[in-house]
Amino acid sequence: MPTFRHLPERRGRDGETESVALTRWIEGWPWPWIGTVARVALGVVWIIAGALKVGDLAASGRAVVAYRLFPPSVANTIGSVLPFLEIALGLLLILGLATRLSAIVSAVLLVAYIIGIASVWARGLRIDCGCFGSGGDLAANAHPTYFSETIRDIGLLVVAVYLVVRPRTRLSLDALLA
Amino acid sequence: MTKGSNANVSKAQRMVKQQMAAERKRRARILVTVAAVAVLVVAIIVGLSVYRSSKPAAVVIPAGASDVGGTQSGLVAAGNGPVKVEVYFDFLCPFCKQFEATVTPTLDQLVSAGKITLIWHPLGFLDSHSKPSGYSTHAAASAGCASDAAKLKAYGEGLFAAQPPEGGPGLSDDQLIDIAGNAGIINPAFASCVRDAKYAPWVTQLTNQAVQRGVTATPTVLVNGKVVQPPTAEAVTAAVNAA
Repeated sequence: MPTFRHLPERRGRDGETESVALTRWIEGWPWPWIGTVARVALGVVWIIAGALKVGDLAASGRAVVAYRLFPPSVANTIGSVLPFLEIALGLLLILGLATRLSAIVSAVLLVAYIIGIASVWARGLRIDCGCFGSGGDLAANAHPTYFSETIRDIGLLVVAVYLVVRPRTRLSLDALLA
Repeated sequence: MTKGSNANVSKAQRMVKQQMAAERKRRARILVTVAAVAVLVVAIIVGLSVYRSSKPAAVVIPAGASDVGGTQSGLVAAGNGPVKVEVYFDFLCPFCKQFEATVTPTLDQLVSAGKITLIWHPLGFLDSHSKPSGYSTHAAASAGCASDAAKLKAYGEGLFAAQPPEGGPGLSDDQLIDIAGNAGIINPAFASCVRDAKYAPWVTQLTNQAVQRGVTATPTVLVNGKVVQPPTAEAVTAAVNAA
């Protein structure tokens, strides 16, 4: 990497030389912006998913019951908590507050969802994943969409893992407060 | 002061400044993390408290409840024979309507022959398939009202005959009450039972019990506790004769 010792030392922000700041800017571009897109996209998905479920918590509970992984009372509790958790995660991501932590929690949730859908698929159950509201057992004439649901969740997981690895993004509260 | 020591002083100052900046950053990061964790914890607490406060009303069990499998809450639809035939169904499920048309006549014969007790478990599996959601549970709860009037079987047949399409609003209370009238239930108590959704908590309990019992689809038929798959008239008859 070239050094810029021959340049006059003019101090920029945080006592950096301008040359170092320049190098950083070149190195940094455009990753933090890609991170911003990833962060906001994942946040928007969480908010939509949570908002579609939060209005009918009973239905959200039934959707979790339909996975038949937990006793009904536990499943109903999970179904009531998840929408709020998803909305909170979405807000944190969109604001860019504690991005790495939010991304880790997102990744953990997504892995849990993927395992849930995979187990339903493996057991031959016919349910709606309830990912964005509704949920429950499928009608006789409807077909499960486990494949596309799994692919979608894996895609979101990739986005979340990217943010865990590179949590520094533009237009974030993290950057403002650091 | 020499030029060298001057440089040393400014270097030291710079180091102190850097350390202070690093310390500031560290504190900011901790603060941010604590704030984010607080947001997530508050979300979880809100969800839990909403769940607590929305606990369903006390479960009232309709007249005619059976005690098969310790569930205490399926309803005896017909007969009192020694073999227990349990049918788990959803009033909105098209296959259940088909089952009603194709297999129930056979079950009726087994009832008249005194061989079986027919027990119904009306479920709310397809609640999300009506708009607004919840028709399955509402219809099943109204079946509880019909059981009170000792006309469950006739009323259930009427409900299947008038089965609404999935994705619609389902039958209105007035339509349910009309169907009951055709089944011979002329009773204001039935109407108020339907309108108050008196047995909706019972249906929720019944649905949960079905899930715990491993019922994953409707219709599901159990003969003396054993699943008959697929639930055809021949298979059910064979299972009853073998029991």
